[in-house]
Amino acid sequence: MMTTEIKFGGFGGQGVILAGMIIGRAASIYDNKFATLTQSFGPEARGSACSAQVIVSDKEILYPYVTRPQILLVMSQEACNKFLPETTDDAAIIIEEELVKPKALKAGMKLFSIPATRFAEELGRKMVLNIVMVGFFTAVTRLVGCEAAREAVKASVPKGTEKLNLQAFDRGYEYGMSLVQGTAAPSVQ
Amino acid sequence: MEHYPKAVKTKDSTSVVIRPLTQKDAPALLAFFRALPEDDRLFLREDVTRKDTIDRWIEQLDYGKVFPMVAELGPSIIGDATLHFNQYGWHRHMAEIRCVVARAHQKKGLGTILMHELVSYAGQKGVDRIRAEMMDTQISAQKAFQRLGFQKAAELKNFVIDIQGKTHGLVIMVNDVSDLWKKMEDLLIDYDIRIEQ
Repeated sequence: MMTTEIKFGGFGGQGVILAGMIIGRAASIYDNKFATLTQSFGPEARGSACSAQVIVSDKEILYPYVTRPQILLVMSQEACNKFLPETTDDAAIIIEEELVKPKALKAGMKLFSIPATRFAEELGRKMVLNIVMVGFFTAVTRLVGCEAAREAVKASVPKGTEKLNLQAFDRGYEYGMSLVQGTAAPSVQ
Repeated sequence: MEHYPKAVKTKDSTSVVIRPLTQKDAPALLAFFRALPEDDRLFLREDVTRKDTIDRWIEQLDYGKVFPMVAELGPSIIGDATLHFNQYGWHRHMAEIRCVVARAHQKKGLGTILMHELVSYAGQKGVDRIRAEMMDTQISAQKAFQRLGFQKAAELKNFVIDIQGKTHGLVIMVNDVSDLWKKMEDLLIDYDIRIEQ
């Protein structure tokens, strides 16, 4: 059985929750797995950092809360500072490299960084940053299939914006694939 | 431009290639416009059957000012749609879209494919609104634009004349692209801010 705990972090308005929702949807609806999504309602969410916790598993998930994320995707420094200490020693850390400079990475951790803001700006809409990150996440973790994730993007964004959002996904995915080519995928389980 | 040329299929399963116009396309573009029946040229703004008109377009090709997309079947151009940007002034947030499809390929969704491509492109270029102008008698064009999210913004009675000298009303239709992205922005904020409350 393989169960993966993931935490998505950033600041409000970046689409942190939507990113988590897309990965959960990709796994549960399009990839025949199980997934849960929980959002923070506690004091930690009242500041600028916000987060979504996603669990993806091959079997039913009995406890939906993330305790020690094996994958952390962060789009703000504050979220990185806050959530990095919670991760496992061998976690995959996925960052937006222009917004986040991770401190105190442990030796077993794997760092994947992408200039997602620049890619989103090149595509003409900075707000698709989170979708670039979802594409990148899909490529470097291989936790959900590319087609499943693309379908989840299509189903999750407003009608009429699908095309650019898919371009954003593909940009992140291709960058991620070029990064991991020839290297082992993160073994998170 | 990395997504072009792109293969698409019309409603009758004809495989067509769509791509931006290039300088090599001058002869094919001229042939396309010259083959249009007069009925289809009634409402065009320039005399597209003149070689010097096409040559001028090709010479001045600048995707930042006008982005032209053609549909190609074999060596022939069978559709042409253009997106006209305004780089300065009170229309700089707005682009204008125009589209012509060869008679034999009309009513097969090709115009919609071309216009959909340009609407998406406009969204990527940060355009907030796309304007389309047509005569009041071009009912099917109005319906096609409606399907793409355009709404009638104004109608000016007896405002323009066709190439035969007949007066028509001018219909202005607008697609508020910024609305789409406002929805996306709202979606991001809705989900994220909800947990901050």
